[in-house]
Amino acid sequence: MKLKHSLFTRRQFLSGLFGGWLGALLASFLYPVIRFVFPPTREPDQVILPFADFKDMAPNSVKNFSWGSKPGVLKKNDDGSYLVFVAVCSHLDCNVVYLPDKKKFFCACHEGWYDEQGRNIAGPPPRPLRKLVLSIEGENLIISREGFEGAPKK
Amino acid sequence: MRIAIQSWLDERFGLQAIMDFLKKKTVPQHKHTIWYYSGSSILLFLAIQVITGFMLAFYYKPTLEEANKSVARIMTEVPLGWIIRSVHFWSSSFMIALVFIHLIGIWLVKSYRNPRELTWMSGVFLLIVTLGFGFTGYLLPWDDLSLSATKVGTDIPRSIPVIGAWVTKFLRGGDDVTGDTLTRFFSFHICILPIFIFLIIAVHVYLIQKQGMSLPLAVEIKKEKVREIPFWPNFIYREMIVWLILLGVVFSLAVFFPPSLDKQADLMAPAPEGIKPEWYFLFLFQTLKIFPAKILFVSGDTVAVLLIALVGVLFFFLPFIDSKPSETKGKILTLIAYAFIAYAVAMTAWSLLE
Amino acid sequence: MKLRMMKKFAIKKKFLVWLLFFTFFFLLFFAQPQFSQEAKPAEQGKALKPEKSPEKIVPSPANIKEAVGIYVFLAWMWLSIIVLIYFLRLKIKEVDRLHRLGYFSGEKK
Repeated sequence: MKLKHSLFTRRQFLSGLFGGWLGALLASFLYPVIRFVFPPTREPDQVILPFADFKDMAPNSVKNFSWGSKPGVLKKNDDGSYLVFVAVCSHLDCNVVYLPDKKKFFCACHEGWYDEQGRNIAGPPPRPLRKLVLSIEGENLIISREGFEGAPKK
Repeated sequence: MRIAIQSWLDERFGLQAIMDFLKKKTVPQHKHTIWYYSGSSILLFLAIQVITGFMLAFYYKPTLEEANKSVARIMTEVPLGWIIRSVHFWSSSFMIALVFIHLIGIWLVKSYRNPRELTWMSGVFLLIVTLGFGFTGYLLPWDDLSLSATKVGTDIPRSIPVIGAWVTKFLRGGDDVTGDTLTRFFSFHICILPIFIFLIIAVHVYLIQKQGMSLPLAVEIKKEKVREIPFWPNFIYREMIVWLILLGVVFSLAVFFPPSLDKQADLMAPAPEGIKPEWYFLFLFQTLKIFPAKILFVSGDTVAVLLIALVGVLFFFLPFIDSKPSETKGKILTLIAYAFIAYAVAMTAWSLLE
Repeated sequence: MKLRMMKKFAIKKKFLVWLLFFTFFFLLFFAQPQFSQEAKPAEQGKALKPEKSPEKIVPSPANIKEAVGIYVFLAWMWLSIIVLIYFLRLKIKEVDRLHRLGYFSGEKK
């Protein structure tokens, strides 16, 4: 189907081609800028800690460790089992504290509460505390990110 | 749609006046037109420096303990950080080279003649600020070479009688080069000098627009009508070609010849061998070297620094010294200009060969 | 006279363009980057351990994917520059023609 009149003039066509190509070139310069300005996340896949530091924990007590740049918390339950969380509130990223007398995790920023399983029970937190996978290998405590393939089976 | 937005903005800002002016502005075409391209190219590289500088400042830590490590992190951990740093490094050399080219062009065709004296003088300030950027930026990676270069560079003003020690103290943040010097230089590099350069550029560019493009003396003397082309869009399109080529060259050089990083500077270690400032200071460095240790009862350094300062002042007031550019005095001053350029090139070459 | 000057300039330009082309072509094959993963002595260690600063850090692409990406980007950049300069020359010819016809001097906007 042949049009009676052009949709645009030759000048407009060339101008558009020029502007478009220039835009594409400048956009391609943007890619390294974006990659530079948004570096990859620095969270570890696994953290290895000496078990000796955690052996003598009383039941219903917690001990902190570093999960990259976030705080991690290792909790020894009443029955002697362990739970590991990233001690960061799911609401707005404040650090949470464990209150053994109440058996709950508390976030002071907006009074968020989590139970001893890390489930959000009161206040603004929308999700439970993030769990990590724990396994004990001889001398070492290995704490891994959930879904990490290298995590040893518990 | 575009026109609707443009007229909406124009009702509020009145920017159409700027577009009208740019369309009316003309650029003369003659044998020396090529020099007209040097100014905007400097602005292109300044823009590149600002953008890459912003990005580097995201990760750079300006303290004695962290400076070198943070640059190392930029070069190894941050994605493509080494390219951004390399572009910043090469673009700085290109910007300073273009400042020199621009200076030489203006100098030789005597654009500083009446009424453009202030444009020249603001240009001299811009030269000093640009060299200041180069000098302060060079210290920031805090490796042995840059530390030594800074020690030597900040020691030179000390030879100035009366105020010398104060100048050195001001630059160093104390008597010696320390972590305070680094923080001070960083503050100059990203805060103080940028404010100055933007203010002085505003004055410089305003004067150029107000007074129009100058004609070289040789062309003006002929008194024949010079062909002129509109700035917008004819000259701008030509400038864009120059910018594209310069961009291509800078990025290619940045990828294939990135700067390396030496280990962290040790304040207690002896000076490394073969310290040299960056290429744009070599001619001054060599000039200082050729002066003997003592001349009569004054130290050679003092004489050299005072001489350079005197030349600088004369250079600054050149439009008033060269008051009759087309006559004999003007011709002699042009010869002196050629002699200076030859001297600077020769001193740089000598310094590089040593 | 002007035509002769233009011809000389065109020849000089052609020479420069080919010189640039061959320089980068040459660089492409002989300036092979050493990947920082190979060149650095095994000091990659975990970020947790404090590192002794290496003697000299020579920057280069981290892996072959990055290196190829950079080469492709440079090729795309130069191709774009050539194309854009071609378009700009067309635009300059057109806009000079219009100026000679007095198209712009008539505008009283």
